[in-house]
Amino acid sequence: MLLPLGIVIATSFSASGNLQFPPQALSLRWYSAFFADVVWLRAFDNSLVVGVGTTVVATFMGITAAFGLEAHRGRFGDILTPIVILPLLIPPVILGVTLLVYFSRLGFRSSYLSIILAHSLWATPLVFFVMQSVFQRFDWQLRDAGMDLGANPIRVFIHVILPNVKSGILVSALLAFIISLQEFVMALFLSNYQTQTIPVLAWNSLRQSLTPIVSVVSTFLILISIVGLLAAALATNIEFVAKRLS
Amino acid sequence: MSVDSRTTVLDRLWSLFEGQSGSRRSLLLMSPLILFELLVFVVPFLLLVRISFSEQSQGLPYAEGTFTIASYVQVLQSELLQGIIVYSFKLGIIATLLTVVLAVFYAYATWRASGVRKSALLFSVVLPLLTTLVIKTYVWVPLLAPNGTANSLLLAVGLIQAPLQIVPNTLGVVIGQVYIVFPYAMLAIYSVLTTVEWELVEAARDLGASRIRSFFAVVLPEIMPGITVATVISFAWSVGAYSAPALLGAGSDRPFALEVQEQMLVNFNWPIATALSTVMLVLMFVSILVIYTVLGRFGGDVTNAT
Repeated sequence: MLLPLGIVIATSFSASGNLQFPPQALSLRWYSAFFADVVWLRAFDNSLVVGVGTTVVATFMGITAAFGLEAHRGRFGDILTPIVILPLLIPPVILGVTLLVYFSRLGFRSSYLSIILAHSLWATPLVFFVMQSVFQRFDWQLRDAGMDLGANPIRVFIHVILPNVKSGILVSALLAFIISLQEFVMALFLSNYQTQTIPVLAWNSLRQSLTPIVSVVSTFLILISIVGLLAAALATNIEFVAKRLS
Repeated sequence: MSVDSRTTVLDRLWSLFEGQSGSRRSLLLMSPLILFELLVFVVPFLLLVRISFSEQSQGLPYAEGTFTIASYVQVLQSELLQGIIVYSFKLGIIATLLTVVLAVFYAYATWRASGVRKSALLFSVVLPLLTTLVIKTYVWVPLLAPNGTANSLLLAVGLIQAPLQIVPNTLGVVIGQVYIVFPYAMLAIYSVLTTVEWELVEAARDLGASRIRSFFAVVLPEIMPGITVATVISFAWSVGAYSAPALLGAGSDRPFALEVQEQMLVNFNWPIATALSTVMLVLMFVSILVIYTVLGRFGGDVTNAT
């Protein structure tokens, strides 16, 4: 499973202009080409803006909704859960078309906001389910104890609940960021030359010519995912992360 | 001092909620997500359906305020589009079957492994899952192209005389698509598998069942809910495949996603693009219901699964 990713990284060190494995000679020339290219660097900034935006939006909505659902189970929760899952089952091309039509109508197509909202459709369910299982494992007697001592519920949330679930929050925020960073089909529909993210630019340049610079970019993206995943695994464990992704 | 001011802010914030009942409060907490799903998911889909009933226009993406079923008639009558729909479903079925079978084996191996080996097996699945589709697709080009690694290797060993045409070709599309959906399918099965008790399998073996028999008689029925979820995910995403056919396919590898993208962004024919999308959604929804019903017969009822 990992072999293809290793091959991508290997081809990024190629000295020739062709994408081939194993590379004939090694060099860092495609790395310097990447850092000299304004278009790639701007795409990098775009990815960062969209990723951070998605993380904030998805984490906020996911945590509040999971907490609300856990604090009081009602019929709204029963309707909410399937609706939250549904976007994950719809082909991204259809989501892209749908949101392009909608955002054009509203007049903010190709903006950062449109991509952030689209990515939140995929990132929020993950946050929601991670946080739901975190809240389920939380010892609610601690909350009741805090309430009995006279603290108001918001203070209990900040001083009692939050410290106990912060690793869960970290994991869900990391996942939300990675989801946004890697998503490309919706971004392809919703971005333009100014706002295109790294995967979109990679895709567009791939369709023109297959140069190792795409492997360089891929190497960066893979490294970011590895770091994020290791951080998430350290905060909880790999098994927990793996199960929540399904 | 700062602690004091924070206290008063929190107290004031709480006074807003104090009068509400528990269910109202939790509804208030859920309201951002509910609002979001309404405005960014439900309403856009209603608009999609509305535009699919608009007249096609020369200069504009669609003619506003018109109503016609012409685009649906066109989608359902055009042989080209029918071929595209059939191709999408064929790809979906083949990729799903391969993925689910491979995923069951991999999930089983991960379940039986322990310690570092188990973590490594999980990591190998989660990392590709968190890697962009673009990378997961294009990596197969240098590997499987006529002058790529696999062909050079096979030629050097003498197994083949001429390079195999795997990419660009349908075989390449299937390989790429299976690689893309495999992690999701594996994890769906794995998370159910971890709830199975190994003692059950041991008991079956003690009673004389072979390894294979104990798997089919004991493990498989238990993990059917996971297999159902894996099948639905793999199917939905493979029918909607975009990157693998675009990059690894030949000209004849044309699923609906490519057609929709072209109608939408190149031809600016929005009624056709939206009508085709709607038709595909309905067909996929029906297929998923069929998958649920069929696999549900074999114990794949997912209502009790995580």
